[in-house]
Amino acid sequence: MGSVLRRLLFFFQRNQFDRDLEDELRFHEEMKAHALADADGMSGDEARAAARRRIGNLLRLREQSSEPWTFPTVETFTRDVRHALRLLGRDPAFTFTALATLALGIGLNTAIFSVAYGVLWRPLPYPNPDRLVMVSSAQQTETGPRTFSTWAPVSFEALRSRVTTLDDLAAYNSIDAPLTGRGEPLQLHALDVSPNFFVTLGVNPALGREFLTGAAAPDDDRSAIVSDRLWRTSLKADPAIVGQSITIDGLPRTVVGVLPPDFSFRPVLPRLGALPETDIFLLNRWPGDTGSDAFLFLLGRMKSGVTQERAEAELTALVNDSSIVRAGALAPEGILAPNVRTRARAVGLQEYGTESVRTLLLILLGAVSCVLLIACVNVANLQMARLSARRGELSVRMALGAGRRRIVHQLLTEAVVLSLLGASLGVMLAWIAIDVTLPLVPQFALPRLGGIVIDARVMAFCLGLSLLSTLVIGLVPALRVSGAAFGEGLALHAGEARTTGDRQGERLRTLLVAAQIAMTLVLLIGAGLLIHSFVRLTSVSPGFELSGRDGVVQTVKVTLPERLYDKPERIHAFARGVLNRIQYLPGVTSASVINSAPFGMMFIRDNFYIEDQPKPKLDAGRPKIGAGYFKTMGIPLLAGREFTARDTAEAPKVAIVSERIAREYFPGGPGEALGRHVRLSDRGEWLAVVGVVADIRQKGLDQEVQPMLYVPFQQERVDFFVLRFVSFVARTATPGSVVEGIRAEIRRAAPDLAIESTLTMDEAVAASVAPPRFRMLLLVLFAMTATLIATCGIYGLMAYAVTQRRREIGVRMALGAERRDVLRLVLTRALRIVVAGLIVGLAGAAGVTRVLQTFLFGVTPTDPIAFTIVTLLLMAVGLMAAWMPARRATRIDPCAALRAE
Amino acid sequence: MKEAKTKSKNELLPGTLEMLILKTLSIESMHGYGIAQHIQMLSADVLTIEEGSLYPALQRMLVKGWVLAEWKISANNRRARFYTLTTAGKKQLGVEESRLSQMFGAIMRVMKTT
Repeated sequence: MGSVLRRLLFFFQRNQFDRDLEDELRFHEEMKAHALADADGMSGDEARAAARRRIGNLLRLREQSSEPWTFPTVETFTRDVRHALRLLGRDPAFTFTALATLALGIGLNTAIFSVAYGVLWRPLPYPNPDRLVMVSSAQQTETGPRTFSTWAPVSFEALRSRVTTLDDLAAYNSIDAPLTGRGEPLQLHALDVSPNFFVTLGVNPALGREFLTGAAAPDDDRSAIVSDRLWRTSLKADPAIVGQSITIDGLPRTVVGVLPPDFSFRPVLPRLGALPETDIFLLNRWPGDTGSDAFLFLLGRMKSGVTQERAEAELTALVNDSSIVRAGALAPEGILAPNVRTRARAVGLQEYGTESVRTLLLILLGAVSCVLLIACVNVANLQMARLSARRGELSVRMALGAGRRRIVHQLLTEAVVLSLLGASLGVMLAWIAIDVTLPLVPQFALPRLGGIVIDARVMAFCLGLSLLSTLVIGLVPALRVSGAAFGEGLALHAGEARTTGDRQGERLRTLLVAAQIAMTLVLLIGAGLLIHSFVRLTSVSPGFELSGRDGVVQTVKVTLPERLYDKPERIHAFARGVLNRIQYLPGVTSASVINSAPFGMMFIRDNFYIEDQPKPKLDAGRPKIGAGYFKTMGIPLLAGREFTARDTAEAPKVAIVSERIAREYFPGGPGEALGRHVRLSDRGEWLAVVGVVADIRQKGLDQEVQPMLYVPFQQERVDFFVLRFVSFVARTATPGSVVEGIRAEIRRAAPDLAIESTLTMDEAVAASVAPPRFRMLLLVLFAMTATLIATCGIYGLMAYAVTQRRREIGVRMALGAERRDVLRLVLTRALRIVVAGLIVGLAGAAGVTRVLQTFLFGVTPTDPIAFTIVTLLLMAVGLMAAWMPARRATRIDPCAALRAE
Repeated sequence: MKEAKTKSKNELLPGTLEMLILKTLSIESMHGYGIAQHIQMLSADVLTIEEGSLYPALQRMLVKGWVLAEWKISANNRRARFYTLTTAGKKQLGVEESRLSQMFGAIMRVMKTT
């Protein structure tokens, strides 16, 4: 409409408009003066004065003239906003507290939400990601349902060729892939994938092409597709990379494609978590693999219109057709029992692997919502106190005709302004928090870390939160204003709290503060539980010495490639050679080698046999160690001796057992086991037990001790496959230089060998407790924030109450009450409120902490220590918060207070 | 001083002021003072337009697009803002005129009955 456009124009030409109107009115004035001078014979000045008087109120005229040009609602709104800002500016204490509180509450919520959204709900970066599923199988056993996540290549092939409800079914497997020939040998995160992998995902490489999915083309079988990151770093972003050859694991591979920069695929291994971002995808058809080893993960794309149930039904039918799937498949979780009904499961790719994290994230979301609620309640409280202080002013305004609606309107505008400002600050806080904390997240804890950004959706959530908080903050005071009792008592004593209207307000405010304390207590107890649990966890001794007089234990891990090290002698020679040289490195007190270091990824357990005894029920770990291993690790020897250099391949076969085995099967003391014989399989050689060592925790501080059967590295010939995973361990006080020394020796012995990792045992143990530590820190952060906010709440309430009650306190003091009595009065009142909140909080906590069960170690959800300490702590904090207002109360001058304001 | 003439102010029906302005401008373009003088003269002093009503009315008509404003040199060589009727304004004038006669006719019919 034309008038709208014209009005918009006015908005930009306001100054010009004002000037024009002024000129116009001046002209009118002159003409009028002229006419008056002519008609009545006045002098020039008199005429002009008369003219001006006739024209009347210029200001009003100007206002009325500009009125038609404005958009009415916008004007009112702008006026309200400006008024609100002015009011806020005039009360810096309130504004600062309110903004800080809101920013904390909304900021925390936004941060956690963006994490939860990024991990759990953000659509994966593939076309139609809800159609992608991971296929696994499950069987019902006596101990409950058991899931098998992997399949053998024959099963994969059979399913792929027969399934109709899936567009495509692809397979992948995580492998070691050292890249050599392009600078320092690098251990890549690699996946062996079936040819149709990218077709199933629906992703095209940015450079080059996908794998060919037709019949096996021999040339193509050695192709590889690299990630954008790998291309930019190791391959120097060479634009002509497509068609070139790179060496992976000693074999040439042709690069046929480079993926787009925003592509991401982090395979999730069950019970391990999410692996790091994949660097390279190697084509594999697993030709000739007819074995029952199940190591492939299957990823399928459901046809449009097919439901998960239908796909699962068809897959289940196929799986139970024994002509298709090999029974007795050996998966990492165990052996698929033949003749037992197997169910196929198709889990959405999005959910796959996030089950464990889901619970934690949802708990965290609940916790921060509590914090936000506390924050809003606090601000609402502060607003109400402020409102009470303005009762005089507002009553006058209402008497002068400002409708109740107008005032409610204005209060709501204030709330909106406050919330939006708080939300903006909150978003900035969230952004900083995420930037700072994300690098600290333990490695496997969160899949899809890259998806955690503050984008439009998260901002929309933040906006929604701020609106919600607006409602809470604005509604409560607004309702009070519209309440009948408010306008009454046009208080002559503006600071009096004696009128009934304000009594009601005070009761409400007290209730809100008590509620805050209850919620804070719940959060604090949760944090306390996690802290106690963490303390218990870290006080568990791993069984070996982490750091002592002689320094720490440095480990360097390599994986020997199968092709080059296909005979046990080769592995022995390598280990022996490197070890001999490492032992003489400066700074090394002692060194040894093992194939499955504690707190590492690798650990195999299996049956063992004892001479003259029925088959033991325990599975034992069977690490292969070098001489002096226990000395290096600081594991006490309980009986007998360690392995030495004399326990060579030709010497008599020996073994060392752990305390647990000795205690269980050789009662009568550890010495009993010496001289007895054990063996690792029912057809293997008998090994003579020459020593007994203390138990260690192999897998984690919260895991049970593992029974161990140690065998000399040099004597292992049958099971030599596992010897490929070599960890050199060295006790040293200078780990930095020793690491370099070990690296150099390894490079000498095997120039193309990539170093997999270099960790000290301290770091390995610390990494293992990183998830519980992280959880604990998070919850402590929330709890502390809530406590801060609640403290402000108590302080504000008591401070205001003291101000309101000045007269009463003055009277008491005049009547003989001492400072001590006044102090006690205020503190008792505060204590009563705090205790009420604590009681409710305790009841709530007792019920709620159950959700933390899975994250607790060594403590119950109703741990009395945590409950007691936290409750006392919060009570002390509450009293401290009331202390300052109490002290201020004692300083009231009775004379001044008694004089009416 | 011939001030404070307690002339009974004839209150104009809302919208009538705008109609009068439109009619005035249909004769020729004028500045604000001129419009007020014109109406006062033609109505033999019965209708006095207060500046407080005139200028807001002119602004409203500017917003609605019935008139255009232009700065020109007036008769006595001073710079003044002249208002001109637009096509929309002319149409509006016609609408108002017909409505007025309708109203007038209706009122007279009621008043003529005995």
